[in-house]
Amino acid sequence: MASVGSKPDVSSKQRQFDALVRSLSGDLYRYAYWLCNEDALAHDLVQETFLRAWRSLDSLRDTASAKAWLITILRREHARLYERKTPQFADVDDVDIADERDAYTPESVGEDGLIRAAMHRLDAKYREPLLMQVLGGFSCDEIARELNITPAAVMTQVFRARQKLKSMLSGDVKEAQLS
Amino acid sequence: MNCLEFRRELNIHPQSTDADFVAHTRECPRCAQAQADAVAFEVTLGRALAIPVPSNLAESILLAQATQQRRERRRWAGGAGWLTLAAAAVIAVGVGWRVTRAQPLGDVAIAHMLGEEAPALAMTAPVADDAVRKAFAKRGIEIAQVPADISYVQCCPVGKYKSVHMVMPRANGPVTVMYVVDDHVASRSDFAHDGWLGRSVPMAHGTLVMIGHDASQFAQIEQQWQSTLQTATRI
Repeated sequence: MASVGSKPDVSSKQRQFDALVRSLSGDLYRYAYWLCNEDALAHDLVQETFLRAWRSLDSLRDTASAKAWLITILRREHARLYERKTPQFADVDDVDIADERDAYTPESVGEDGLIRAAMHRLDAKYREPLLMQVLGGFSCDEIARELNITPAAVMTQVFRARQKLKSMLSGDVKEAQLS
Repeated sequence: MNCLEFRRELNIHPQSTDADFVAHTRECPRCAQAQADAVAFEVTLGRALAIPVPSNLAESILLAQATQQRRERRRWAGGAGWLTLAAAAVIAVGVGWRVTRAQPLGDVAIAHMLGEEAPALAMTAPVADDAVRKAFAKRGIEIAQVPADISYVQCCPVGKYKSVHMVMPRANGPVTVMYVVDDHVASRSDFAHDGWLGRSVPMAHGTLVMIGHDASQFAQIEQQWQSTLQTATRI
């Protein structure tokens, strides 16, 4: 017969999971969106992340580290997705190729839209540490641990990310003023 | 800290509270101005990155988790040992295969609705129109207009059928609506099973199945979907 203490407390586990979902799913969705650039995929990634988190919730000891823990799961899930993903090819004649920058004029999207467009154009190695810092609120040491690089490399990447972003934005503004 | 060191730190930690960093802003007006600009940029950047989150995100995750848990619990229910379970599964697969093949669409739809997807019946918050369009697109159908008041949408296999499973809350209780793609019933028919009432209606590109406790609610829902699916196109 199992003792009372040896049986996991299902309701408290469920309550902890509910609280995690309600408090962190929005942050995770935004992070996922900037990783994959697609809202439906971001939704699936976040859902899969939480389903995996549920299965190993007992390993989460410290609630303060919950966000970093979930981000780790999400990044692994994203990497797995790209391992599984088979490229789909379409006949080039069937594809309507538009300059994506046409969709991001200051008149149509405003300042936020221009920044989003610049973020999409930023190389992933610069975008991800910047996202973790701005959206996640992580320190350079925490980002370094997550990305498995040195804190000095993180500092260089967030430094360059901001420089590139500002340079792209000033370019957009100049182009917009000239046109 | 000199200006060069300050500018480097500014691009790494624009809102740094480091004592040397803060002291430099007091000594150098140009760097202080650069910091004010950088902080303003951070605010704009944070706002731009905070893209809108789907309104039903948390609910859909909790539903998926509850569904998965039920599935796992059912898989391991009984506790009579894996050999017994394996033997039962072999029998169940054999019987289930024959039953599923023989079962009409309405019965399979009700069984699906009351099984893993049962928690969806309690959902009332409307889902975004885009989520409905995406579910149909996954099934190869492009719809332009979306009927109002859909509280749940998911692409589900229902027995051998491919469906878009939805819930539409109504005054007399929720109506489950399943659009079964590429499977046309010969004509409209009503059915009843386990106290539930249902109706299947042939529509463009498939069949619409409605299930609820009050059949008087079906006519309006059918009309809404007729009008949506009339203009639907194959992707």
